[in-house]
Amino acid sequence: MRIGDFRASYAHDESLWPTRVQRAWLGVLAVALIALPFGANGYQVSLACMLGIHVIAAAGLNIMTGYTGLISLGHAAFMGVGCYTAAWFAQRGVPFFLTLPLAGAMAALLGLLVGLPSLRIKGLYLAVATLATQFVLVYVFREWDSVTGGVRGVNVPNASLFGFELLNDQRMYFLIAPVAVALLVAARNLFRTRVGRAFIAIRDKDISAEVLGIDLLRYKLAAFAIGSFYAGVAGALLGYFYRAMTPEYFTLQLSIFYLAAIIVGGLGSMLGTLLGAVFMTLVPELLRGIVASIAQWAPSATEILSPVQQVVFGLLIVGFLVFEPHGLLEIWRRVRRTFHLWPFRA
Amino acid sequence: MSGNPFDWIALAEYSAIGLLSGGLLALIALGFVLIYKGTGVINFAMGEFMMLGAYFFYTTNVMWRLPTLLALVATLAAVALVAALIERTVLRPLAGQPVISVLMATIGLASALHGGVDAVWGGANLEMPALLPRKPFTVGEILVPGQVVWSFVLAATIITAFTLYFRFSKTGVAMRAAASDPITAYVLGIDVRRTQALTWIFAGMVGAVAGIVVASMTSLSPALGGAALGVLAVIILGGLDSIAGAIVAGLIVGLIESLTAGYLGGKVRDIVPYVTVLVILLVRPYGLFGTRQIERL
Amino acid sequence: MSNSDHPTDLFRRRMVGAGVGAAGLAALPLHSAIAQSGEIVIGAAPPITGVFAFAGVGLHQGLGDYCEWRNATKGGVAGRKLRYIGEDSGYKMDQAMSVFKKIMGAHKPPVFYGDSTAWAKAAAKEVSQLGTTLTSSPSFSSDLADPKNVPYYFMAGPTYTAMGEILLEYINRTSRGASKPAVAIVYSDTEFGRDPISGIKAKAAALQMPIVQEIVTKPGAVDVSSEVAKLRRAKPDYVIFHGYVLAPIPEFIKQMREAGMTTTPMGTIWSMDKTTVDAMGAAGQGWMGVMPYRYSYDTKDAPTMQVIKDFAAKARPNMSYVPLFYTHGWLVGMIFSEVMERCLKAGKALTGVNMKAALESMDNWDTGGVTGLLASLKGHQIASGRIYTYDASSKLLEPASGWIKTA
Repeated sequence: MRIGDFRASYAHDESLWPTRVQRAWLGVLAVALIALPFGANGYQVSLACMLGIHVIAAAGLNIMTGYTGLISLGHAAFMGVGCYTAAWFAQRGVPFFLTLPLAGAMAALLGLLVGLPSLRIKGLYLAVATLATQFVLVYVFREWDSVTGGVRGVNVPNASLFGFELLNDQRMYFLIAPVAVALLVAARNLFRTRVGRAFIAIRDKDISAEVLGIDLLRYKLAAFAIGSFYAGVAGALLGYFYRAMTPEYFTLQLSIFYLAAIIVGGLGSMLGTLLGAVFMTLVPELLRGIVASIAQWAPSATEILSPVQQVVFGLLIVGFLVFEPHGLLEIWRRVRRTFHLWPFRA
Repeated sequence: MSGNPFDWIALAEYSAIGLLSGGLLALIALGFVLIYKGTGVINFAMGEFMMLGAYFFYTTNVMWRLPTLLALVATLAAVALVAALIERTVLRPLAGQPVISVLMATIGLASALHGGVDAVWGGANLEMPALLPRKPFTVGEILVPGQVVWSFVLAATIITAFTLYFRFSKTGVAMRAAASDPITAYVLGIDVRRTQALTWIFAGMVGAVAGIVVASMTSLSPALGGAALGVLAVIILGGLDSIAGAIVAGLIVGLIESLTAGYLGGKVRDIVPYVTVLVILLVRPYGLFGTRQIERL
Repeated sequence: MSNSDHPTDLFRRRMVGAGVGAAGLAALPLHSAIAQSGEIVIGAAPPITGVFAFAGVGLHQGLGDYCEWRNATKGGVAGRKLRYIGEDSGYKMDQAMSVFKKIMGAHKPPVFYGDSTAWAKAAAKEVSQLGTTLTSSPSFSSDLADPKNVPYYFMAGPTYTAMGEILLEYINRTSRGASKPAVAIVYSDTEFGRDPISGIKAKAAALQMPIVQEIVTKPGAVDVSSEVAKLRRAKPDYVIFHGYVLAPIPEFIKQMREAGMTTTPMGTIWSMDKTTVDAMGAAGQGWMGVMPYRYSYDTKDAPTMQVIKDFAAKARPNMSYVPLFYTHGWLVGMIFSEVMERCLKAGKALTGVNMKAALESMDNWDTGGVTGLLASLKGHQIASGRIYTYDASSKLLEPASGWIKTA
C-alpha cells in the first residue's frame, strides 16, 4: 500500500515521476532499453525499432486527436511527407540530425495548411477532410516523379554520424530509441504547459475555450503542426530504417492503425500512447505465434493469417470502444490502484 | 485527338456515361444518408456492407446455384440480419459517445468485415454473373454500355421507392420523426430503438444491392469495399442528411468523374472525388442541401 | 520533500517487480529452431493472401514442392537437404520485410524469394550490405535485371519491357497490309504496371507502329465504361494490357466486343494463367500474350514439365491443372539449387559473391523444357518467351509463335 505520498510544492505535484519508486523503475527501464540490442536477436531489435517509430507517430496523433479533439485520418500521409523530405535531403548529403527536424518541419508546414479550415469544419467533417487529404497526398507521392520517385519509390542513403554508418538494425536502434524517448517526454511535458492546457480546453468544448480567451485558430493550428511534426519525424526514421520507400506504404490502413493504437492505448495520455503502440505492434506477433503452434492440426491456418489479423484488429477496436473506452490506460490504472490500495479494495 | 474540330460526340458520350453512372453513386450515397439521418453516424463500413451483399449473392447464386430471385431474397435477409446485429451490439452501446468513438467503431467494423470476407472466401477476384442486360444503347454515334443504363434505372427505382416510403408509409414517417427529434418521438409513442434498427437494416439492404450491381459490373473481390470511400464526395456535396442532395450530387460527381477520365486520363479520375471533397468543405461545408448545424453551449 | 516508503515494503515490491520483469523477458522467444547442420534453408515471403493471392499460393507451393522433390530424388543439393521456409507477406511491403528479417535472423538462408518489386528494391540495399543471400521474387521489373547495381537479384524470366518488346515484335511480324497496325496500351497505375511502358513506347517508335491510346487505371476492379469509350474512338488493332492479374481485363474485353470492336487483346505473363483466361469466359476467345514458360499440359519434349505434372498429380491430387505460378516457383527452385550446387561442387562457400558468379556462369543451361530454349542467366534474367493464343472451345492456350529471344 502506498502511504506517505505527500506533495508539498506545486513543482513536486506537477512533476512527471513524483515518487522514488517510480524513478527507480525508470532507471531499470533505461538500463533495459540500452541493453536490449545486445541481448535480443536481430528480428527482435528490428521489432523494437518499428515500435519506436510507431510510438513517435502515435504520440503525434494523440496530441492532435486525443488531447485536442481534432480527428485526423490522414496521419500516414504526413509520415510520407516526412519520409520523402528526409530522403530528398539525405540524397543530397545532409546528415540525419538535420534531415529529421527538416522532415518534421515540412510535415508541420503541411499540417498547418490542412489545419487552416479547421475553424469552419469540425468533428466528422474534419475527419472526412483529413481522409481526402490522405488520398490526395498519396496521389502526389505517386505522380511527383522528380521528387518522390513516383511509384518506383525512393532510396534513402544510410544515416551516418561523422562517417560512422548506421548499417544495420542494431545501430538504427540507437538512433530511433533516444529520439522516441525524447519526443515522448517532450509531448508529456507539453501538457504541463499553458499550450497543452489550451489544447485540452479546446477538446472539451471549443466554444467555451474561446469564451475563456483561448485563440482557437492559433491553438488548433499549433496542434496540427505539432502532431504533424511528430508524424514527419516518424516517417523520416521509417525511411532510414527501410532504406527505401514506396508510396504504397502510406495507406489509409496505416492511418487507421495509428488511430486504433491511441484508442486502444488511451486517448489523451502519453502512457496510453506507449501502451497502445506496444500492444498494436505485439498483437501480430502473438497471432503469428498462435497460428504457428496450431499449424500442426490446421495447416491452412497460416494462409489466412493476414485476414485474421485484420479481423482481430477490427474486433479489438470495437471491443475496446464498447467495453473499455479509456483503453489500456484505464486497465493499467486499475491494476496500479489495486496495488497501491492493497489490502483495501480499489 | 486534339487540334481537330471539337469532338462534341465524345463530350456527349462521356457526359451520358457519367450521368448514368451517377445513379449508382446516388444509391450508395442513399445508404450513407439513411444512417446519418437516422442515427447521426457516418458509416465507414458502408463499403463493407456492399461487399458483404455481393459475396452473399455470389455464395447463394453461384456456389449453391439458387435461382437469382431466391438468391437475392436470401442475400437481403442475411445482410439485414448482419446490419441489425451490428446496430444492436456495436452502435447502441456507443450512443451518446463522442464522434471519434463512433467513427472508429465503424472503421473497426469495416476492418473486421473485410478480414472476415477475405478469410472465408479468399482474396482472389471472382466473376459475378451478369445481372443487368449488357446490350449497349446507341443513339447516333453515342454508345452507352447496357449495364450503365440499367444500373441507373435500378437506382432510380429504389430511390423513388424509398422516397415514397418515407413520405407515405406509417413506419417511414415514424422513422423521419425519430430522426429529426428522438425525444419528442419517444413522447409520442414511437419506438425510437426500432426505427434506428430499421434504418440500419434498410441501409444495409441498399448497400447490398449496390454491391451486387457494382460487383457484376466489375468483379468480386474484398477490395469492393474501397469503392464506397469515393461516395463520400457525393454525400459531402449533397449534404450528409439529404436524400435529394444525394441524388443531385451523385449525378454531378458521376459526370465530373467521367469527364475527367475521358479528358485527363484514368489516374486523375481516382483523385477527383477527394479533391471535390476538399473544395466543398472549404467553400460550403454543409453541401448543397444539408442542414446547417448550430452548436450551442 | 519526497515520500519515504517503509523499507521492507519497497524491497518486497522491488523483488516482485523484478520477478515479473524476469518472467516477461523469459517469455520472449529466444530464437526459433536453427536449421539442422547441413540443411540448406530456402527462405520465402510469398504473397499467399492479399491481392496477389492466387498467384502467391502457386508460387509458395511450387517452390516448396520443388524442395521436396529434390530431396527425394537427388538427396538435396551436393548431399545437403533443402528446407523450405515460406511465410505469408500479404503482398504488403512492411510485412514482407518483417518476414524477411525474421527468417534471415533465425536461419540465415543463402537464398530468399520475396513477394514484389517494392520488396525487392527495399531489400536490395540490405541484401547487398549483408552479402550472404541471393534473392528473387515474382517481379520482372527492368530496374532489377541489373547485375551491377542490384547484384544479388535475378528473375526467372524476361523483364516486363522485354515482354512488351516480344509482343510488339510479334505484331510487327504477323501484320500484313500497307499501314502499320495501331496499338493501344492499357496499364495499371502501379510500379508493376508502369515499369515497361517507356520501353514499349520506344520499341513501338522504332518499329514505326503508332500508339493510338494510352489508358491508365487503378489496379483491380474498376468501372471502365469511359475508358472503353476512349478506346473505341482510337480504333486500335491491338490492345496490350499490363499490370493486372485478372480484373478489369475481362470487363474491358466484354465491353469492347459489345461496342463492336474487333481489336485483339494481348497480355503479359501474370495474366496468362489458364484459370485467369478461363474466367474471361467467351470474351477470352482470341486472347493472346507472351509467356516465358511452357504450360503444364505441354509436356512433349519437355522432361521437366512431365516431372512437374507427375509430382503435382501425386502430391496434390486435387490440383487438376498446374498454374504457371507453380511452374515459376519450381523453376526458381531449380535455379537456386543449380547456383548452390555449382558453388558447393567448386568447393566455394555460399556467399553472395560466389553465388552471383555461379549464377552468371549459367549459360546455355538446360531447364528441361520449361523455358523452351536453353537459358542464360548472365544478365540475371532469362530473356526469352513465346506468344500463346487462347482457344475458348478447348480452354487451352496454344503456342502462336516460336520461342523468341530478346536482347
